Amino acid sequence: MLLKIENVTKAFGAVKAVDGVSFDIHEGEIVGLIGPNGAGKTTLTNLISGVYKADDGKIDFLETNIVGLPPFKICHLGVSRTYQIPQPFPDLTAIANVVVAVLCGKHRANLSFGDALLEASHCLETVGLFGKRNVLAKDLTLFELRTLELARALATSPKLILIDEVMAGLNPVDGLRAVRLIRRLKEEYRLTILWIEHVMKVIMEASDRVEVLSYGKKIAEGPPKTVVDDPIVIEAYLGKKYAQSRKT
Amino acid sequence: MTDTISIILIYTFILGSLYLLESLGFSLICGVLRVFHLGYGIAFVVTVYVTWMFMQERGFGLGWAILAMCAFQCLFTLLIVYYPIVRRYLEKEEILLTALLLVAMIGEEIVNYFYPVTAGVDLATGLLPGISKIGKASVPNQMLVAAGIALLTTAAFILFFLKTRVGLLMRAVSQDIKSAKLMGTNTERIYALAMVLSVIPPTICMLTIAPVYSIEPTLGWSLLQTAILVSILGGLGNLKGSIIAAYILGFVAALVSFAINPRLVNVASLMMVSLVLIFRPRGIGRSESLW
Amino acid sequence: MVKIEHKRARLVFRLGDLKLEWTIEPRYWRNHFIAIALLLLLILGLSGKPDLLSLITTANIYACIAIPLGWQITGTGRMNFGPQFFVGIGGFTAALASIYWGWNPWQSLVLTILVSLLFALLLSRLTVIAKGLYFSLITLLLPLIFLEFTNIFNRVFRGETGLSGIAHIIDVGDIGRNYLLGCLMSLGLMLVFLYVVDKVLRSRWGVYAAAINDNENVANMLGLNINRYKIVTFAMTSVMIGIAGWFAAHYFGTFAGVTYLPLQFMLKVLLVVMIGGRGEIYGCVVGAYFVALLEHFLTRIGPIHYILFPFILLLLLLALPEGLYGLYRRHRYKEYYPTLKVRKREI
Repeated sequence: MLLKIENVTKAFGAVKAVDGVSFDIHEGEIVGLIGPNGAGKTTLTNLISGVYKADDGKIDFLETNIVGLPPFKICHLGVSRTYQIPQPFPDLTAIANVVVAVLCGKHRANLSFGDALLEASHCLETVGLFGKRNVLAKDLTLFELRTLELARALATSPKLILIDEVMAGLNPVDGLRAVRLIRRLKEEYRLTILWIEHVMKVIMEASDRVEVLSYGKKIAEGPPKTVVDDPIVIEAYLGKKYAQSRKT
Repeated sequence: MTDTISIILIYTFILGSLYLLESLGFSLICGVLRVFHLGYGIAFVVTVYVTWMFMQERGFGLGWAILAMCAFQCLFTLLIVYYPIVRRYLEKEEILLTALLLVAMIGEEIVNYFYPVTAGVDLATGLLPGISKIGKASVPNQMLVAAGIALLTTAAFILFFLKTRVGLLMRAVSQDIKSAKLMGTNTERIYALAMVLSVIPPTICMLTIAPVYSIEPTLGWSLLQTAILVSILGGLGNLKGSIIAAYILGFVAALVSFAINPRLVNVASLMMVSLVLIFRPRGIGRSESLW
Repeated sequence: MVKIEHKRARLVFRLGDLKLEWTIEPRYWRNHFIAIALLLLLILGLSGKPDLLSLITTANIYACIAIPLGWQITGTGRMNFGPQFFVGIGGFTAALASIYWGWNPWQSLVLTILVSLLFALLLSRLTVIAKGLYFSLITLLLPLIFLEFTNIFNRVFRGETGLSGIAHIIDVGDIGRNYLLGCLMSLGLMLVFLYVVDKVLRSRWGVYAAAINDNENVANMLGLNINRYKIVTFAMTSVMIGIAGWFAAHYFGTFAGVTYLPLQFMLKVLLVVMIGGRGEIYGCVVGAYFVALLEHFLTRIGPIHYILFPFILLLLLLALPEGLYGLYRRHRYKEYYPTLKVRKREI
């Protein structure tokens, strides 16, 4: 069991962004996390990676409790994430962005700066950005920024990657490239992926299992085909009337 | 004992009102333009010395000199401070702050070149001479007048922000500029108007306290320091917080002056504000918007 | 004893476990060599004129303050509007130790380092907790508080007139020689600072500084312990600035709070950083010499120099976006160009 989330709650003032969510992630899975807007998906990701501290509940990663740990310690344990709106280091080149991740991501003894650069080049080459390694991050296109995020997340040698809406804003061709890339990386680096996504096609194809959140609560889980036909899920996305009209 | 307390309370009121008047313009710029105007002191210096210049060199009477100075103040703020510096470097704050500081310094040196401390500059804008006794405290009448005018000015500004359409636009711009732009506000004009409005309190302040304040070219810096302290304590750009903060600082100044040691006034205010900053970084005010 | 190997384009010197690499290709060390040689010649050439030597020393001291400041701004991610606070601490520690306890300069150096480190660690919490504009504001207020303290404890700090009679940094009997050796020492100090900060910024800690400057939270997510890095940077740079204050006190023999603590001095240091080349440390050296020389030569013109000096600096600040050093570097591809941040925007 890689990640075990038990009854996690997080409230901002009077609004409960995440309310009693529990699920597990096993090694080697791709778990999709879906739900309508405002369901608490990004908040859950922030809770796992340590940006926020959960008010209640347990989050265990590899049998270690990670609630309350600072984000960099959680990264050293093996959790990595990408961002919905890409957040590179804008004044640094692409390779420098990845070098930061290589040097800090894990405790590595005797890693010289030159070796870190080599490893960063390798990460960039895997995602296909080697040609743009000396371009400043603020000059890259959206697709390149997304792949840079992936390269940076990979460079920290993670066991679990939290991928946050990688398809948003990409045209279908680029989207397909992104999905293929992620599946290839998962196979090569033996990753586990928690994938937040809105594009249903990707979730159906790529994920083994899907969790559905709505207004902070988990409302369904299971293989993609089952979840998509579940009336509760349809009601959450499209409203009661549509769900009822589907039943009849 | 009660004498000291009554003196302290009276001077709290007076000093607090004065501090409020001094920092009103600074809070306005902080709140609307989100600029920490380190060159604010120049407004005070310009008030006194330009009026004096018009009276000496052109032989204007006091009234005409004041009018000419107001025109000069507006032109100076728009043409030298706002358009070339603030507008160009609104995004690059480090250049902005340094440039504003430099402008204030250049202005002060120009004034010092023509009218150094020894030139004996003095404005006869006293409205009520003499000293009155309130309880056990003797207060120069001019300071009471200044405190009263401070309250009137603040009330005028608050009415302006609450009741007029332009005031509403300013409050909107200070809360969320992107939404204000989406709603069709001409933010450039609001910014320019805010800058011009921000020099009105310093002008009024200097004109009223000129008879009881020591006039020298470096007077801008201590007034700037007061404005900074009031703004920081009250929350940058928050008018409500600034009003409360001004009276708190007035109280601290009065208490330290009359009950402890007059030499410690400055350091007491500075330390108090630093401590508040460390423990409550937002200051007293709830939000960083104007009202 | 020292083993020398020739590996591709480098010479590698080994002494036990230590290794020093030197690139043979002149391109890498030619400019540094020329600059240091020019400065040395300049100082030796001026050996008869103590006032010009003091000018060069002043320039070196400005550079010694600006170089760690450049590292601190990127390493903590915020602009520090009160570097002169640590100049004051260093200078007053050295002055008080020398006058009241009769210590020689090297003993007071140790004390300066300890006191600066103490204050830096006390204040380092600020880099971690203060958000938005507030770090800059607190650093703006600190030197003013210190100045008030020097005025209140007048008997100890001699507020207005400053402390005098501080032991000179080096005493060989002849005053002319003293000044010359002191000037050479200031050049040495500046070169040491330059070397240390350059090495740091070219290594992984420089990349960490750049990452923190750009986006702290993401750097935190990637495994960098930002609080520890910020505290260490703040402490080290503050100690370096304190050492610059120590040198100023011992070279000039006097140290007054009103010279080094008010806003005017802060402005000079800030302008050295910005006009020289926006956070670039080699640019700080260029900026320091420019500001010191400009100040000195404008004094000849007469009382109007008080107006001209800030005016020229303002024009340069607005006209040169990359600073004076940027004029030289413009034709070379710059890999890292930091944006100086004053206000930390929360995500």
